[in-house]
Amino acid sequence: MSASSASSRKTLSKIACNRLQKELAEWQVNPPAGFKHKVTDNLQRWVIEVNGAPGTLYADETYNLQVDFPEHYPMEAPQVIFVPPAPLHPHIYSNGHICLDILYDSWSPAMTVSSVCISILSMLSSSTVKQRPEDNDRYVKNCRNGRSPKETRWWFHDDKV
Amino acid sequence: MDSEDDMHDANDMESVDEDFYSDGDGYGGDAADSDADVADYDFMGNETDDSDEQAVSRTQKNYTVLKEEDIRQRQEEDMTTISTLLSISREAACILLRRYNWSVNKVHEEWFADEERVRKSAGLLEKPAVSLSRVIDVVCGICFENFLPDDITSVGCGHPFCSTCWKAYITTSINDGPGCLTLRCPDPSCDVAIGQDKIDKLTSGEDKKKYYRYLLRSYIEDSRKTKWCPAPGCDSAIEYDLGSGSYDVTCCCSFSFCWNCTEEAHRPVDCDTVSKWILKNSAESENMNWILANSKPCPKCKRPIEKNQGCMHMTCTPPCKFEFCWLCLGAWSDHGERTGGFYACNRYESAKQEGVYDESERRREMAKNSLERYTHYYERWATNQSSRQKAMADLHQMQTVHLEKLSEKQSQPESQLKFIIDSWQQIVECRRVLKWTYAYGYYLPEHEKAKRQFFEYVQGEAEAGLERLHQCAEKELQTYLNATGPSKDFNDFRTKLAGLTSVTRNYFENLVRALENGLADVDSQGACSKAPSSKNTTGSSKGKGGGRGKNSTKT
Repeated sequence: MSASSASSRKTLSKIACNRLQKELAEWQVNPPAGFKHKVTDNLQRWVIEVNGAPGTLYADETYNLQVDFPEHYPMEAPQVIFVPPAPLHPHIYSNGHICLDILYDSWSPAMTVSSVCISILSMLSSSTVKQRPEDNDRYVKNCRNGRSPKETRWWFHDDKV
Repeated sequence: MDSEDDMHDANDMESVDEDFYSDGDGYGGDAADSDADVADYDFMGNETDDSDEQAVSRTQKNYTVLKEEDIRQRQEEDMTTISTLLSISREAACILLRRYNWSVNKVHEEWFADEERVRKSAGLLEKPAVSLSRVIDVVCGICFENFLPDDITSVGCGHPFCSTCWKAYITTSINDGPGCLTLRCPDPSCDVAIGQDKIDKLTSGEDKKKYYRYLLRSYIEDSRKTKWCPAPGCDSAIEYDLGSGSYDVTCCCSFSFCWNCTEEAHRPVDCDTVSKWILKNSAESENMNWILANSKPCPKCKRPIEKNQGCMHMTCTPPCKFEFCWLCLGAWSDHGERTGGFYACNRYESAKQEGVYDESERRREMAKNSLERYTHYYERWATNQSSRQKAMADLHQMQTVHLEKLSEKQSQPESQLKFIIDSWQQIVECRRVLKWTYAYGYYLPEHEKAKRQFFEYVQGEAEAGLERLHQCAEKELQTYLNATGPSKDFNDFRTKLAGLTSVTRNYFENLVRALENGLADVDSQGACSKAPSSKNTTGSSKGKGGGRGKNSTKT
């Protein structure tokens, strides 16, 4: 469903291309623990396999993250979602959208795909219950037609998980 | 009309009334206010009065109009003060002032209480963390390219970024909105603030202008003491001395508004009543629009008449020529001087309910009455509003065109015609006050009979005076404007208009005073059932001929 929104996006700027190539090279030498980049020839969309950390609620589970880069990456944040089925988590919606401040308001161009991945894994690891956000059904319904999570006005109220 | 809804409406209104009067009815809710203000209710147009200097100086104490240059100058001054006081750079001073909402005192206080904490929360380093110049080759933290140390900078924290990335980072943030004012180092773990110096160096054109616009706005919008003038197209602001009495302020663009609620000025009626009334109007607007949209039939010949002038005295076109009051559609001969000055058009007489009604009929009647009652007040409120708009246009026309023409026709220097401007300014102000007294009247409980009577009496007096004044300034003046040469009786006209201006001012001062002290004079006079006598009109020149006050002697 988000395929259409991603394909309609403008192609990467030169700066964005250079930076992503460097990030990819760095990733290949030094990937974040628990993540595997699925090789494609598409620099603008990365698909990353996530393995739940041992000793957490998500141990032995595997999910896929889809990362789409905007034209002006890294000045603009990438769009990061779980490819459904998404992990059961109080901040992850069933359509794969993730409520995490660094993906939206608190994004900084000094962050990288790798640092975002680490934040997401840490969010998973600190969860104590496997459940959907309270407003899951309402939110998912509002997001039909492939709306991007970047169009959502997120309200980051919980810094524990 | 007599549906269930109407009945609910009647009930709602009752509860609203109770709420309103349960928490006191003084203007602004501050008892100290009313005392201080009564003496110098400042009507426009009395500049020639001796007492005026007082009023003006008081006005200046109460609030200050700030133009864009003034705001800039104040920002500069505040930065200088803080930078001198704290021995820090101007950029750092600016960051601190923004952090503490441009309060010099607060910055000062916090800084000397705990400098370290203030530095940390505002993102100010005591000294640069590391020098980059010793390294040979530096990687930019955003594009990951290698640079020579000279091509790369940090904001003192040592996190290195190239100038292209800095520029993109700052530009993106500026285009995202006023958040750019609190921009920090791009490194996610670093809190160091980005100062104006960096912005100046790295931005230009529109982006720079935008940043400085946000900086200017923050001075007004972050402070509790300042607000922008809400008039469209006006970019001045008002600084108000908190806790200093009357909330009415007038911007240099001549727009008057209430500093507290930023609605248009509504003295002597308090903000709660105004917001309730505005809400009520928007809810009822469907019902009410027809009143404004439609003309009324002449009460005599029934031809439709559209109101095209400001005062309420209507004359139907010949051959009918019937003179009537726009508001009550009664004959004008029943109004004003001819019947001993009694003008009862402001009074809402609830329909007599005699005889025995069965319960449902009684309730239906009540619902109908509640709508009628609201219509009564709304129409008077709205008509005075449009009358005021018209008067403002007329005043403008007078100042720009007619005064010169009149000066020519009547061979009088323009300085000698100032009384006409005075009278129009008085009309504009009175229409405003009168308008709001109808919102007040609507919420004045029906069972407070003595208060209602007293209120309607002072309101009626003021309204009658204003109608005479408005008519004189609007219609009688035409004769002199259209004259072919100097008119013999122009001086009589001058005396009459100046007199009416002065009398009307007094009536309105009484009205404002009465409403601002919550019609308390009624209580002090006991439960009198008759309209009170002249207790509140002392100081006014009573009677029609006696209105030649200070103004006329100066002309």
